[in-house]
Amino acid sequence: MTGAFDFAPAIALLPLAAFAVALFGGNYLPKRGALAGITALVGSLVLSIWALVTVAGGETYDADLYTFVAGQDTLSLHLGILIDPLSALMLVIVSLIALLVFVFSLGYMNDEDETGLPRYYAELSLFSFSMLAFVFADNLLMAFMFFELVGLCSYLLIGFWFREAGPSSAAKKAFLVTRFGDYFFLVGTVGIFATFGTGMFAGSESFPHMAEQALAGEHSVRTFLGLGEQAWFTVLGLLVLGGVIGKSAQFPLHTWLPDAMEGPTPVSALIHAATMVAAGVYLVARMYGFYLLSPTALGVIALVGGFTALFAASMALVKQELKQVLAYSTISQYGYMMLALGGGGYVAAVFHLTTHAIFKALLFLGAGSVIIAMHHNENMWDMGGLKDKMPVTYYAFLSGSLALAGIFPFAGFWSKDEVLYETLIHGFGGSPLLLAGYAMGLLAVAFTGFYTFRMVFLTFHGEPRTADAEDPHGVRWNVKLPLAVLGILAAVAGVINLAPVEKVTGIHLTFLHDWLDMAPDSFGTAVHHYTGDHGLMHEFAGYTAAHPLGETGTVLVGAAISLGLALAGAGLAYRLYAVPSPTEHTDKLGSLKTLLMNNYYQDEYQVWLARDVTLPLSRAADTFDQSVIDGVVNATSSVSLFAGERVRRIQTGLVTHYATLITLSLVALLVVFGYLGGWF
Amino acid sequence: MALIELPTWAALAPALVLGATALVLFLIDSIEPEPDTTSPTLLTGVGLAGALSALGFNVWYLIAGTGQTTAIELFGGQLMVDGMTLVLGTIVASVLALVVIASYDYIAEEPHQAEYFSLLFLAATGMTLLGSVDSFATAFIALELSSLPSYALVSYLKDNRGSVEAGLKYFLVGALSSAIFAYGISLVYGATGSLQFDAVASAVDPTALPGILGVGIVMIVGGVAFKTASVPFHFWAPEAYEGAPTPISAFISSASKAAGFVLAFRIFTTAFPIDAVAGTIDWLLLFQVLAVATMVLGNFAAATQENVKRMLAYSSVGHAGYVLIALAALTPQANPDLVLGAGMLHLLVYGFMNTGAFLFVGLAEYWDVGRTFEDYNGLASEAPVASVAMTVFLFSLAGLPVGAGFLSKYVLFGAAVGAGLWWLAAIGAIASALSLFYYSRVVKALWIEEPTEEFEIDSYPVGLYTAIVVAAVVTVLLLPAFGLASEEAIAAAGALV
Repeated sequence: MTGAFDFAPAIALLPLAAFAVALFGGNYLPKRGALAGITALVGSLVLSIWALVTVAGGETYDADLYTFVAGQDTLSLHLGILIDPLSALMLVIVSLIALLVFVFSLGYMNDEDETGLPRYYAELSLFSFSMLAFVFADNLLMAFMFFELVGLCSYLLIGFWFREAGPSSAAKKAFLVTRFGDYFFLVGTVGIFATFGTGMFAGSESFPHMAEQALAGEHSVRTFLGLGEQAWFTVLGLLVLGGVIGKSAQFPLHTWLPDAMEGPTPVSALIHAATMVAAGVYLVARMYGFYLLSPTALGVIALVGGFTALFAASMALVKQELKQVLAYSTISQYGYMMLALGGGGYVAAVFHLTTHAIFKALLFLGAGSVIIAMHHNENMWDMGGLKDKMPVTYYAFLSGSLALAGIFPFAGFWSKDEVLYETLIHGFGGSPLLLAGYAMGLLAVAFTGFYTFRMVFLTFHGEPRTADAEDPHGVRWNVKLPLAVLGILAAVAGVINLAPVEKVTGIHLTFLHDWLDMAPDSFGTAVHHYTGDHGLMHEFAGYTAAHPLGETGTVLVGAAISLGLALAGAGLAYRLYAVPSPTEHTDKLGSLKTLLMNNYYQDEYQVWLARDVTLPLSRAADTFDQSVIDGVVNATSSVSLFAGERVRRIQTGLVTHYATLITLSLVALLVVFGYLGGWF
Repeated sequence: MALIELPTWAALAPALVLGATALVLFLIDSIEPEPDTTSPTLLTGVGLAGALSALGFNVWYLIAGTGQTTAIELFGGQLMVDGMTLVLGTIVASVLALVVIASYDYIAEEPHQAEYFSLLFLAATGMTLLGSVDSFATAFIALELSSLPSYALVSYLKDNRGSVEAGLKYFLVGALSSAIFAYGISLVYGATGSLQFDAVASAVDPTALPGILGVGIVMIVGGVAFKTASVPFHFWAPEAYEGAPTPISAFISSASKAAGFVLAFRIFTTAFPIDAVAGTIDWLLLFQVLAVATMVLGNFAAATQENVKRMLAYSSVGHAGYVLIALAALTPQANPDLVLGAGMLHLLVYGFMNTGAFLFVGLAEYWDVGRTFEDYNGLASEAPVASVAMTVFLFSLAGLPVGAGFLSKYVLFGAAVGAGLWWLAAIGAIASALSLFYYSRVVKALWIEEPTEEFEIDSYPVGLYTAIVVAAVVTVLLLPAFGLASEEAIAAAGALV
């Protein structure tokens, strides 16, 4: 009996095949390899949906595929596939977004007569492959390997136009900054393998489960650095978190992401919505059972997330370029997901990850459409009035913007509200630290409403401010189709988890919660394993939910506050920018604007770290290497050559000398061994 | 169940075939109407047929398992055939076949070709027999049978001063070593009253006359050290290898060395097992000293050479040091099968990669490009195929994983570590690192340096090229096929201990 899971490897392998086809045969194919990628991703999407349906039928899958290092009496390293509700959902999201990005690329790249398209589609396919394989990885090492491959692909794609200075420098920056975080991830991975002897995510032999048992005193594990078990798990969790912070562009490693806008816009959509940036948050969700064992790690996640949400949103307020605004909004939105994870809202985080994937892909593709129309000018102050010229793009973009701003009843409202609600109730339930995260997240809602609608009004409303905006370049079906699909989804995707409605009306509507709760008990990845009175969150992290205004009251008040703030932000934007000829009101912020425009001088201080701290250190190390290490090496070779020269001189060429030496050596051997053997 | 039941003497078929080929070549030489009128093609053809049929017999017997469960004893225990005999026979016959093909071009202009081939086969007969000796008497005869034709072969280029001088030095050092060896045998006979290996082992009495037995053993070590070109009996090697016709250098440094080692393995595991003679002489320590001295001296001297052939000569000394580890590491906690098997494997792989490297030098001599590293500059542009092969040989000799030299060295050092001699393995690894320096000088000259002057290469000799390419292919193929070869070698070694 063959089922969906027999084809599970193909979900990732199809794009890999497309990679090979596009790379080697792209020049001979009609669309330069795009069709190969589209075909492969249609296949992946179908298989992913099939897997999703199978999981819905109550089946799950966890299997080793290939052991590449078989340890004797020690750990083995292998590749394997884990398909549970979380990874099945993520597979569908990734393959759907990637497919739409491929289709959109036909319009953005092919129709614009870009060169190097086979390389583009090959890299895009490899990107999809890496992300899909990362999603279904069943162990931490495999996840790390594909995590790195995702990073490599993003480097290649951001630097797609490598002949220009900007993209190649942005690509390097993205690579180096995320690599910095990945360094910690690697150390954490090695630490987890050393501690538990396994990197499995799910099952009774998995490291979250073993850590849980260790804390419960059921069996012991080896810890290092003289730390207790919980402290050591915290260290491991934070090390892995280093990779997450780099990939998901959380403070302070977020600086690569705005620069990554130098890549082609469809790539930005893929990076922001479903692949690179999502990988970090997904990893935390994947090993959530491990993080729940450490309240410290959770607190760090929540505060980093809340702070990033606010911090990035504030920078988005003053940006002039369409994609820059979106970039900072991405950072901010991933901050919400981290806040949710840190605040005990596992379902909320996955929910926001899902809705964000949809509306952010939509916004980027919409921006791409606008950029095509504007002949690749991205400055919003050169736009205006595009609403009537490109209605499909406008309404799709508006749907995405309403979702991003968290306006009722678009998808983003539900997920963001749930994030804030979960943080709030756990904050009141005895973890006051979370209230700080909640406050930052709440303030960011207002900022989000403002910058989102500032962007919408500047781009689409008012009078056209340049000739390009007067007469935009048209876009074809391959741009409009993905926009339409995503636009509808962005409006309605919230229905998968209408938690507030359920709380108020009592009708069962939290489908995502049920879905994630379906993971079998043997995996230990189900929601009820994490939350509730007997879940890990209560037992180990000490999180308890409390409703200061009663359950319904808290839900309604929380939702009202966040919606009110979003509307206030949006309303302000409406007043300031929804006029025929808007002016730069942000100038009134004065020196604050300069600070925001310069991104709080984050880049400058990181450059300072690199140039004025790291470089002198490297120079010192280089001097040490050149003088001491090389000196030793050179001395060794001089001594060797000198000794060789001496040895060579023994060989005089005179056979009488040889006979003498042989005889003398023999005598010497006889004397020594005779003495040792006691012959005399 | 074999198809045909062969008589027991047929187990010696490889040696017999080689001896018969030598006689056939003599016959051709003696009936030719005028001196040097016999076609070189005929001589090479007969030689190749002889070498390949000897190789065929060895491989057949290895596969059929002849003598491998219980050794076949012949002539009242004077000779025997077991797995070790056959592995050595395979090495000798393979190297011989390569040398015969290469000689077709190399000695094309020289007189007395029939004598050349005939002597080559007599030496090969002696080397093959060294693998089946079971008593000191036959050991001495086989040793001389392999040595005496070698002296003549080294000085084959009679008009070349270097060749004649090298032959003379080789002969004189050889005579001294043979004398030492024979004296050692007589002392052992005096102490034990027997020449047959097993009988010697059972007659060893550590309390009676320990000095006589001990001196005898050290002197026998000297005789073996001469054959394997180990320090301090190595002095002949750089001179002889440099002066001899290059195919002969290849032959002596590969096949003759292997034969010497197999003799040593047999003597020291059968006649003087360490348990029996430990009270008299700790030959493990003796071989450890020799191994270290040989590895260090061979590699250090090779590092400062200007002449490629002489560099290979010293590297050959260094490789003898690596194989000596196989004897030095037969400690009580060692896995003796693995240790000796590793030595055999290194000899097998070395047979191909070292022969190939020498033959490349022969090719360069054939083209008159000169003898130093600088003369090889840019040769790769003229002879890319041969240069790729040479690169494979050299890197494999250094122990890089392009050829099987990597694995054989790895197993050898691993076996030493397993025997508790990690320091010996460390010295071996350091010596290998040093060897990479001088091997890569050749590679650098071939591929990276610009030629100093135009090469005058007008023909590409078929025989030399064939031999070089075959050697390179085998060197590389032994890498994946290493498991197969190691099974045979370790099984052969296991029968010995």
